This record gives sequence, structure tokens and C-alpha cells, in this order.
Amino acid sequence: MRTLLLLSLAALVVLAVASSNAIAAGISVDAGLTPAEDRWILRSQVRYMRRNNDPTPMDRRMNMYAFPAVVAYGLRPDFTLMVRQVVKHMDMSMAGSRSRTTGLDDLFILGKYKLYRRNTPQYTFGIATTLGLEIPTGTNSFSSGTWDAQPGLYTSWRSGPWAADFNVAYSWNGFADRDESGVNPGDELSLDWALAYQLSIGDNARVTLAPVLELSYRNISSDRQGGLDVANTGESVLYLSPGAKLTVSSFILEALLQIPVWQDQQGLQLDRNLGFILGSRYMF
Amino acid sequence: MTRCTALFLTLSALLVCGTGCAVTDQDVTSESAQNSDTRVYEVFGMDCPGCHGGVEKLVKKIPGVQQAEANWQKKQLVVAVRPGTELNDEEVYDAIRRANFTAGKRIK
Repeated sequence: MRTLLLLSLAALVVLAVASSNAIAAGISVDAGLTPAEDRWILRSQVRYMRRNNDPTPMDRRMNMYAFPAVVAYGLRPDFTLMVRQVVKHMDMSMAGSRSRTTGLDDLFILGKYKLYRRNTPQYTFGIATTLGLEIPTGTNSFSSGTWDAQPGLYTSWRSGPWAADFNVAYSWNGFADRDESGVNPGDELSLDWALAYQLSIGDNARVTLAPVLELSYRNISSDRQGGLDVANTGESVLYLSPGAKLTVSSFILEALLQIPVWQDQQGLQLDRNLGFILGSRYMF
Repeated sequence: MTRCTALFLTLSALLVCGTGCAVTDQDVTSESAQNSDTRVYEVFGMDCPGCHGGVEKLVKKIPGVQQAEANWQKKQLVVAVRPGTELNDEEVYDAIRRANFTAGKRIK
């Protein structure tokens, strides 16, 4: 019921964005990548996230580095296919002891289909639907252990130097199976807004610098096992993320500081702390 | 500190390289435009410098096109036609559509 309410809210937000003159361009979300037909986009990033404020006396702390690589290809003018693979490194400390783990996350494949696009001299507006599939190919420490489906909706608005994007995605985790221990991982709802303003550098229209502001909401339901919620799983978090994007012809450098302005941990998990994203994109 | 310096130098090198490539493209187009039939089309939907490459690549594949250069701020595509060849505007409009943009009128 709660999920349905959240999805309804998301649909309303999509309509609100579609009918307003707001604007953005996302760094934390890959669904915005839309190469033209027979064009490629390569995106690589370094993502850092820190978790601390242990509510237990064990003084747990975690530093997570993720290195996602995304390849997107324009199969047709209205269809984009993308593949994402993430290498992760986790540094965990607890009660004076420390452990480090490096491995692969699950492989993620996403298809994006253009439902509507209107290009006018004054503005450009587009709506696309996305469907992702996460395949449990990752190493034990990082794989969810299940096949996960991720339907979503992406809207974009451009007007002059302004750009606004909104993405809603729902990860239906373990839609076809459970992990080895019989646990069904909690589903995840993601809402992402991005607003950007492009400043031209020079007079050849090939270089721009865009300050970016993103707002991201994540709601992760508790894992389920035997019909019951698994303790200390599930969380909600809201990030406010300032950043910038430098575009030089077909090459983009991007940086984002992720600030968790609100969070609700359903149990004794660690709090999310500051994170950052540094990345680049190349189109050819 | 060493890592920060290395990162800064790498980013600077990439920036210089990217800017240099852009200037080279522009020079080639200007030169070729002087010696050939040049057409200018309105293109709506381009919203950043990264959009140029998509439409330019598709238009350059059309037989008879010598050079193509888009400008997202002017909302224009300049196409240089190879001397002695004919170019159908419909082929250019189709390439613009396949790049996810919308063609306006032909200005020149």
C-alpha cells in the first residue's frame, strides 16, 4: 500500500515537472544517457560513500568506493540500450578490527524507449520509459543474489540554458527468486530530480560549464524471509547534491557532492554520511 | 598530495585536448565551406555541445556531404556539399530526425 502511494506521488511529480518550466541534468542517474542512432556514450565514475554513527557500542564504520562503467548505444532514434558494471571496494571497521573487500557488483542492463519528444525553438520536452534487469553475476560480498527488475520513467525539459530532468524507478528485487538463504531483498523506490544551468565558455559553442543541483530520494523496503521483515534492514534517505558539469565538445567531466539531509534507518544500521561522485562521459 | 596533482594534470590535459579538437573541426568546416555549396538548416532539440556529434556523424554519412557542423546555441546545422554532387534536403532532414532532433526550415 505504501509503495502504491509513493508511486502515485511519483506520477504526480512527473506531471508537475512536465507542466512547469523547471530544469536539470543528472550526474547520479544513468537513465538520462540518450545517444543518437548509431552513437555510443561511455561513462565512468568514482563514487564514494561513508557510513558511520553506529547506534550500537561496536563503533562500526564503513567506507565504500564504487567504480561504475556504463556503455550506452543508440540502437534506433527511439531506443537506447545500456550496460553497467560496477567494481566495488569496501573498507569496514568494527570494535578495533578492520576488513577490506573488493569485488564486482551485479551486471545491470537497461533499455530506454522514447514515448514522446517535442523539439521546438523555445523548448525541448521528452518522456521515456525504462526497463532494467540486474543479473546476479557479482561476487558474493556485493551481489544481491537475485534477479531484479527495474521499470522506470524519465522526463527531461530543456529551455535555453536551463535543463531539468526527473527520473522515477522502482527496483523489484528478487522478482523471480530468492537468495541462497531464502531471503527476498527489499524493493527500492528511487526519485531523482536534477536542475542545471549551462554557461558558455568562449564563443564557439563547444565548451560549457553547468552548475547542477540534484535532489534524490531512496526508499528501500525491509528484506523479507518466511513472510516476515528481516530485522535491521530497510531505510529511507533524501540527498541534496550540488555539483558541476564541464562539457568540451563530446567530452564531459562531472562532479557531485551528495549530502544526506534526511534519513530514516529501520533498525541498527549505520547512518549515511557525505558522499561524492567524480566522473567523465565520452560520446562518439 | 601527489595523487591530487596527478588528477589535476590529467584533467587539464583532457580539457586542452578536447578544446583543441573542437577548434580543428571548426577550421576544417570553414575552409571547406568556402569551396563548396553550403546549406544552413534550423535544428531544434540540441541542448549542449555533446549534441553536435550525433547529428554531424549522421549527416556526414550522406553521399555528397563534404562537411557538417552543428551549433546548439544558434540551433543551426551547416552542411557543405561536395562540388559536382547533388544533395537532397530530405536526406538531411532524415538524419536530423534519427539524431533525435527536429528539422526547421532551410535558411540558406
